[in-house]
Amino acid sequence: MRDSWLLFKRSLSDFWKTFRRNRMGLIGATLVISAVFVALFAPLLTPYAPALVIRDEAGRGLTYAPPTVHAPLGTDDAGHDVWSQLVYGARVSLMVGFLAGFIAMFVGSFFGILAGYFGGWVDTLLMRITDVLLVIPDLPLMLVLVATLRQMDLKISPLTVLILVIGLLYWTSTARLVRSQVLSIKERQFVARARAIGAGHVHIIRKHIIPQIMPLIVANTVLILSTAILIESGLAFLGLGDPTQPSWGTMLNFAFDRNAISNGAWWFYLPPGLAIVWVSLGCVLLGNVLEEMLNPRLNGHHLEGEAKIVEMRANHG
Amino acid sequence: MRKLVFLGILVAALALTACGGVSNGAAPAEATPVAVRVGWLGFPDTLNPAYAFLTESYSMFDFVYSTLTTEGPTGEYIGLLAETWSASADGLTWTYKLRPNIKWHNGETLTAEQVAWNINAFIQNPDGWVTNSGYVIGFVSARAVDATTLEILTEFPISNMDYRASFLYIVYPPDFEKFATPEELQNFTNFSPIGTGPFKLATLDKDQRIIILETNPDYFSGHAKVDQVIYQTFDNSDALVQAIKVGDIDMTTEIPDSAFAAVSAFENVIAVSLPGRSITELIINSAPADHDPAPTRNPALKDPQVRLAIATAINKQDLVDVVLQGNGVTGVSIVPPTLGGGFWFNQNIKDVAFNLEEANRILEAAGYTKEADGVRSKEGVRLEMRLQYPSDQSSYPRAADMMANWLAEVGIKATPESVDPDSLVVATNPNADYDLVIWGWGSDPDPDFMLSVMTGEQYVEGGWSDSGYSNPDYDANYLKQQQVIDPAERQKIVWEMQEMVFTDRPYIILWYGNILQAYRSDRFTGFVQSPLGIDSFQSLMNVEPIK
Repeated sequence: MRDSWLLFKRSLSDFWKTFRRNRMGLIGATLVISAVFVALFAPLLTPYAPALVIRDEAGRGLTYAPPTVHAPLGTDDAGHDVWSQLVYGARVSLMVGFLAGFIAMFVGSFFGILAGYFGGWVDTLLMRITDVLLVIPDLPLMLVLVATLRQMDLKISPLTVLILVIGLLYWTSTARLVRSQVLSIKERQFVARARAIGAGHVHIIRKHIIPQIMPLIVANTVLILSTAILIESGLAFLGLGDPTQPSWGTMLNFAFDRNAISNGAWWFYLPPGLAIVWVSLGCVLLGNVLEEMLNPRLNGHHLEGEAKIVEMRANHG
Repeated sequence: MRKLVFLGILVAALALTACGGVSNGAAPAEATPVAVRVGWLGFPDTLNPAYAFLTESYSMFDFVYSTLTTEGPTGEYIGLLAETWSASADGLTWTYKLRPNIKWHNGETLTAEQVAWNINAFIQNPDGWVTNSGYVIGFVSARAVDATTLEILTEFPISNMDYRASFLYIVYPPDFEKFATPEELQNFTNFSPIGTGPFKLATLDKDQRIIILETNPDYFSGHAKVDQVIYQTFDNSDALVQAIKVGDIDMTTEIPDSAFAAVSAFENVIAVSLPGRSITELIINSAPADHDPAPTRNPALKDPQVRLAIATAINKQDLVDVVLQGNGVTGVSIVPPTLGGGFWFNQNIKDVAFNLEEANRILEAAGYTKEADGVRSKEGVRLEMRLQYPSDQSSYPRAADMMANWLAEVGIKATPESVDPDSLVVATNPNADYDLVIWGWGSDPDPDFMLSVMTGEQYVEGGWSDSGYSNPDYDANYLKQQQVIDPAERQKIVWEMQEMVFTDRPYIILWYGNILQAYRSDRFTGFVQSPLGIDSFQSLMNVEPIK
């Protein structure tokens, strides 16, 4: 136990040493972490509750008011403070993105490992299911599913429906990736040795396969997060979000439906758009860098080895 | 899917922070015919008066066809095909004297025989002439006395004959005689109609979504001062607004509430906000318990106190200020205040005032107590309900969002949900599978139609009722008001019926929205501003170019 903890600590510090030298990775991490920070501390960062209507002296809602000191990003078509909505929207967008991303990762890895490790009819069955889901265009299918599930009066909230639909449909690429990696790992000698001394399937998968594919899964998850957030925004923009819990996509939906562009209310449609770019860009940068670092194969060409040694010598000398 | 395309446009707008106008095929400025270019968001799916449900279709009917009578800009009925008309002493025979020399667009002369053919077809084939049949209820037959005299016999005295006649578009019989079954008749799209109206339909391009109307020089009552009226459809309201701003179009028949203030500020554009005849309501599922299929709803909605609490928790003035951006008035009765110049609107109904504490008190007194999560319940029934609205209305999501927030404050959890309009039609009638729905009506000029919506007999598949309201006294009154000739007496019944609906609350009327339109003041003049809109045929016949 202590040994493995030390090992973990050391690999973590090794990882950090490499990571902090990668500028793209740092930028990506900063973008993502700052968004998470904003979401966590939303009540401290906002002057108003997101659903509060800012009113003039006569009691009328101040609609499409340009940015002022009191409302730093102006108000929307209903007189809500855009900044407060944006900050609270981060909670919804990130929550849906993260939860859906994790569901997708779990389902994808599970199917990928099973298919890759057991092969045969398990592989055929699982991969055909994957193929079917891969060929159906994601967005239309999700649109239909979300709309239908909403109609069915299941006692679950609209956001849960969104999370489940995105999560349970977006695991196919992960499954494919994981499967191919497992296929190669299970043929290696250390797996054959473990099997020879009588290790069971569960043991082999847990002790030998999963640790090997973990880097791939982690990197892939971060990439899926960005897609999940984009899809959530897309579905919410098309009116399938929960208007009482606005996400960035819901804000864009209202901005579009309520003619923010004709009103010149850039403060209503620009911030949520940029926020979506912010987070998905962060996830993509971070995901790519992680993938590069954690997957030794992407580190470089085998012929580059010599150059590296020279470089190391130069550094030490 | 239409919005999906505009995701791209929005992204472009995000990048540029400016959105260029999207225009399709504006006529070149040096073209010789004088054309009024009209922009709108819809397109008629059919020009067959037998089976038309879109307002866009009716706009075209008014240009191409004529009716015996028509509603004038001030609300009274004037003769169109009919020069004079009168009822017999018993009220059962109506005689219409037609104007002489009315010509069809193909040059033939209209005869009373042809008008009689039309009306008899509506009476005898109600399954085919679906949209017309409602206006000929109580008609027995029509016949031509001579070439210009028409006689209509009715079963009982009809109180609103002029209004009914104003919806009976007289079509060219040879175009419509050839259909054997109701389905064949309804499937006929009639995209090159022959009528007697002030404009001829020259081009209808379904793909480009352009309609070109040409002035009918042989029209029986003067003719338009412009040569053409060109309708072009825009995919989205921002593009439409941009088109009127830069002058790609000369007028628009519709402006979204949320863009009206922006359009009013444009140079050389006059935006008009006219009290119209539309109502927007919150429908509460009131279907009878023995309805087939059995209603699916929150059982607490049957409780009058819950309905009262919902009504008390809605800030109608805020809805008007925010959702309509002030372009309308708060609603109270199913009959909008503009009908007959206000004659039919019951002014005595006193609306419940918005008061969240009062709404909380009503629910508390009725035995609904707050649970840990703030939602009230009584005997295991939690006040959780769906708040649905049709997905094609851009103002409803905001209204739903605001109402859900108010209701949450009184312990009612309403979940807003956008639903495809066709599904919503089925969910409300006949399935009765809904709790609360935000929806609206465009009222006819006579109160009869809006009153009919609340009758029990309309709550059948294909009927107009969506609330499922069923009250025998109300239904008896409905039949009575149809047959009372004396307007004062009819008014009394109509007012009483409005009171009944207000008290029972199958509907909570939210607002009466204005007609929002705009025209380029540097191009044309003479638009007639009336509840019919500046796009009425009377208005467009009066429009002339600025030299």
